[in-house]
Amino acid sequence: MRTVVRWGLLVVMAPCPLQILAAQERTTVGGYGEVHYTNPTGPKTPPVVNLARFVVYLAHSFDERLTFRSELEVEDAKIEGGKAGGEVALEQAFLDYRLGDWITLRTGLVLPPVGIINETHEPPTFNGVERPGFDHDVIPTTWREIGLGAVGTIPGGSGLAYRVYLVNGLRADGLSAAAGIREGRQEGRQASFANPSFTGRLEWARPGLKIGGSFWYGGTADTNAAVGTGSFGAPVALVSADARYENGPFAARAVVANISVSDAQAINAAYGKSVGSRIAGGYVEGAYDLLRLVAPTSSHKLNAFLRHERYDTQASVPVGVTRDRSLARRITTFGVTYKPTWNTAFKGDYALLRNAAGAGESEVLSLGVGYQF
Amino acid sequence: MTLALAALLVTAQNPAAPPTKVAGSIARLFGPGARVDTLRVDTARVLRVSRADSLLGFAAVGNVLGKDQPITFLVAIDPTDRLKDVDILVYREPYGGEVAYEPWRRQFRGKSTGDSLRVGKEIRSISGATISVHAVTLGVRRMLAELTAWHQSGAIR
Repeated sequence: MRTVVRWGLLVVMAPCPLQILAAQERTTVGGYGEVHYTNPTGPKTPPVVNLARFVVYLAHSFDERLTFRSELEVEDAKIEGGKAGGEVALEQAFLDYRLGDWITLRTGLVLPPVGIINETHEPPTFNGVERPGFDHDVIPTTWREIGLGAVGTIPGGSGLAYRVYLVNGLRADGLSAAAGIREGRQEGRQASFANPSFTGRLEWARPGLKIGGSFWYGGTADTNAAVGTGSFGAPVALVSADARYENGPFAARAVVANISVSDAQAINAAYGKSVGSRIAGGYVEGAYDLLRLVAPTSSHKLNAFLRHERYDTQASVPVGVTRDRSLARRITTFGVTYKPTWNTAFKGDYALLRNAAGAGESEVLSLGVGYQF
Repeated sequence: MTLALAALLVTAQNPAAPPTKVAGSIARLFGPGARVDTLRVDTARVLRVSRADSLLGFAAVGNVLGKDQPITFLVAIDPTDRLKDVDILVYREPYGGEVAYEPWRRQFRGKSTGDSLRVGKEIRSISGATISVHAVTLGVRRMLAELTAWHQSGAIR
């Protein structure tokens, strides 16, 4: 639970003469983080331990309608001048103006609401020490861009919720064969607004079930006329669908995405890359709480899980590119997540990293801890 | 900290529910035209709902903290201390509002304080609304226990 400066999580039979105090300003601090131990198999690959993420959540309510929300992240524990690695970055920073359940206006550095992990990325919410490879190479989490939009629920208890944003576009010069659109993100740093892009999501929820569909559409050409012209020059079009299901000890989730880069040929010519014209794939995951079998009254969880990912960042290639079949990845990960509380997790897993070419395959043992509050 | 002291501290700063929302919720749960009396137990207020001379039940309003905003909810019990329903009176956050949906709230109906109410067991969670689900479940559990204890001790009758 979040910690609010001045008062904690408590329940009261609240009396009523307090409307005046309701408008009081309030600051909330929270956070999440994760530490990883990674041990690839094979010679000359010693294990590595890393404080992968330390994130501080800071929110401030100015009044009943206007709230600032942010996440400041330190990756890999530190950054040091002249040395590679480490990052200090804002993951989110936006102002919300709440008009009602049906609409909150939002502007700032926001998360494109694509897939599952990009918006819900706190370590206790997913199985496996590392996020799925799909959520790195296909949906480039944590993806954030600057813009404005609206979020809300569709009235009438329909169970439908939406988010829609207009944000800065991706940059074609960052697209690559192996990591797709990942390095095309601008992440709020002196971002070009030459290619305003649209992104959004519609989702439907029931107890234990959530189903969502999401999209991104926008140009990438920036000012390079050789790649494309106009606001939507060299467009990237992403569509994705996801589902999460929980019933008693059983949980499952699945995500699929298809990204079309229709001017990949021009992008490759301009920047000497081998970007695929289609990036596609997904994963399915099932989990079972083993503690239900041995200690059914326990509030702890011990989820054994199995996930299979299949994705290809060169699912199709434009003229002039020979498909690299090692980019057609087949990753199987299995392991356990022990959760003494819903917001803490101790994880262990084993990943089989395979690809259609059978080249450079490896296996990785990982251990980790994660928390959120 | 005793519960009474905790209640006092939080009460001083938590937002209250708009009276029209409380009245609407009582009418929905107990039918229109019921008589509502406000009882005091220490610093807390409990609504006693009756029609003619017969007791229909009790209700109380509380707050729990979601991700960064208070969630104002109402819990109502019948004369046998079974939970009639939970209402989310004011939800202020942009996410997690699924806790107000009837299919989620109805999981609490008919429960009494001896029943276990745990997320992931008796109460199914909602992906992407985890913080609110845990907060409201905890709040309902505590308020059901309070109302039941007060009723059984004669503090409310």
